[in-house]
Amino acid sequence: MIDMDGVSKIYRTEHVETHALSTFTVSVESGEFVAVMGPSGSGKTTFLNVAGLLDVFDGGSYRLDGEDVSRLSDRAMSRIRNEKIGFIFQSFNLIPDLDVFDNVDVPLRYRGVGARERKSLIEEAVATVGLSSRLKHRPAQLSGGQQQRVAVARAIVGKPKLILADEPTGNLDSAMATEILTLLEEINAAGTTVVMVTHDPELAARAPRQIHMLDGRLMDFSRDVPAPLFDPSRPRLDPVLSV
Amino acid sequence: MLAYQLRIAANSLRRTPVLSALLVAGIALGVAVATTFVTTFHVMASDPIPGKSRQLFYVQVDNWTPDRPWDRDRPEEPPDQLSWREVQNLLASDLPARQAASFKANLTVHPESREERPFRALTRVTRPDFFEMFEVPFLYGGPWDAAAEAARSPVVVLGEATNRRLFGGDDSVGRTVRIEDRPFTVLGVVAPWAPRPKFYDVTNGALQDPEELYVPLSLTPEMEIRSAGNTSNWKPWDGEEFADFLESESVWLQMWVELPTAQARQEYEDFLAAYVHEQQQVGRLTRPVNNRLRDVREWMTVSEVVPPEAKTMLIIGLLFLLVCSINLIGILLGKFLGRAPEVGVRRALGASRGSVFAQHLVECEVVALLGGAVGLALSTVTLRVLNRLFTEGAERELFTLDLTMLGAGVALALAAGIVAGAYPAWRICRVAPATYLKQQ
Repeated sequence: MIDMDGVSKIYRTEHVETHALSTFTVSVESGEFVAVMGPSGSGKTTFLNVAGLLDVFDGGSYRLDGEDVSRLSDRAMSRIRNEKIGFIFQSFNLIPDLDVFDNVDVPLRYRGVGARERKSLIEEAVATVGLSSRLKHRPAQLSGGQQQRVAVARAIVGKPKLILADEPTGNLDSAMATEILTLLEEINAAGTTVVMVTHDPELAARAPRQIHMLDGRLMDFSRDVPAPLFDPSRPRLDPVLSV
Repeated sequence: MLAYQLRIAANSLRRTPVLSALLVAGIALGVAVATTFVTTFHVMASDPIPGKSRQLFYVQVDNWTPDRPWDRDRPEEPPDQLSWREVQNLLASDLPARQAASFKANLTVHPESREERPFRALTRVTRPDFFEMFEVPFLYGGPWDAAAEAARSPVVVLGEATNRRLFGGDDSVGRTVRIEDRPFTVLGVVAPWAPRPKFYDVTNGALQDPEELYVPLSLTPEMEIRSAGNTSNWKPWDGEEFADFLESESVWLQMWVELPTAQARQEYEDFLAAYVHEQQQVGRLTRPVNNRLRDVREWMTVSEVVPPEAKTMLIIGLLFLLVCSINLIGILLGKFLGRAPEVGVRRALGASRGSVFAQHLVECEVVALLGGAVGLALSTVTLRVLNRLFTEGAERELFTLDLTMLGAGVALALAAGIVAGAYPAWRICRVAPATYLKQQ
């Protein structure tokens, strides 16, 4: 699903260059559930942004679902985001003016889905996250956990192949966090690839595979990985292994 | 998608009502000023008789003194009207398909009812071709014919308002109305008609209403009908009688000829030149030959029916709208950039830069249309004020928002929306979505 090879991403200011991703190479197979861990500033979110085509990269190559996405137009990238990727953010990022139905509706609108089909898809997605009774509620009328469930519904409504979740439980208490993670596991069990950035080792441990990042580089894998994903010539940094 | 974008725009406007009102007011002010001046210019500059304006020609012959031109500022210009002698001589030609000399008079009408007092009515003293040449519509009856003109028959065509005043709006054809010292038979009633500008006589106010009575030109000597319009002369006339005035070089009549083809025009120009040469042989028209045959549009331009000030005001009005729009750029930019996090979310969910740009431009156009509606309402008020200033007491308002002007107002509003919104919309669509997704 995700196949990055030597991807680099550099943020430049007038005086400083920050290498958010340095020759970053990783592969995520279809149907995997991968937790991405690492300290703040290690490049997790940058990886997720690049993986989700929310940000461009400076070097290397990236194939998403078998398609080279290195040099796509904005329109093409938007189409891929809309059709293949679902995003879940730490702060939910729901649109406050819109009720649950309309928030979940947003990606379908940009896909040009007809009204009847949209209604059906939205109701199905909202039912999956258990919020069918809250369709007309606005985000401010929902708890944090409910808001994140709406965000999950919005992420899955278009039946994407890949879910990218950036600390989806970061703003939730442990019970809510577990609830959201269970939802993600169910989504993954249905065949959707899930890549989740998290700081929480307990939640990460529930993912079948963990990726560790430091200084924009892939440091280690907690599970065995296919050979091409790991570059033996690159030095391993032991301290990260203890995470 | 447009319906969805309109919904987002409505939500956005509701979210910040004060700011939205400010934006609408800005556009409204600009549209009101611009539409007002565009309308005044449109009224003054429009073709008053489309389809025929290239076939109708205003006749000018230079009968002025050899010592100085008629207009010192434009020495190449002949007098803007003709003398009675010229008119009588030129009307003898059978070259034009139609021809009509005329002038404005002010005649006294004596109503049949003793309860109503006599009143003065602006009158067009003319020939029967006038009505067909200028496509004057009739409510009842029609104009007099050439025989009645030749016979100096006391016949009259009434304007619709005068017919209403005298006969309660009934079909008055065949009835009698006393004008000055004699009874006139009503032959027709003109339907409401107000060519803007009043092209057939711009020398006496191009923005005035048409006259309310029409009587034969041939009655002029007998009834001693004097012009109520401009009369110019370069020397006092000999004698004190009205007949002496008619024989003088005073210019006070307008003359139009209808020449449907280029050949007809050429032939008439040749005729005019020959006429002047002939008159020069008998001691008249001593200035160099300087005849003019101008079609309606040319005559409007030469007569400066659209004063330079109107053009200046038109430009000022449009610039004012531009300034209003530019002033709104900053407000819209702040408003849109304040919504960058939401845009980031929409971009993440599949909105392309193009759709984000379009969405924000739609919002600007919604503001523009609301502003345009308010602006058009305001401009009807300002036009009403202008009507009072320019045509007080007129039967019909001179400056009105017709469909063309309503369309122009809407187009101006939409253009203002694009001017105000294009840059902010472009800026917000360039926002990197990843920047805001983590910050919310």
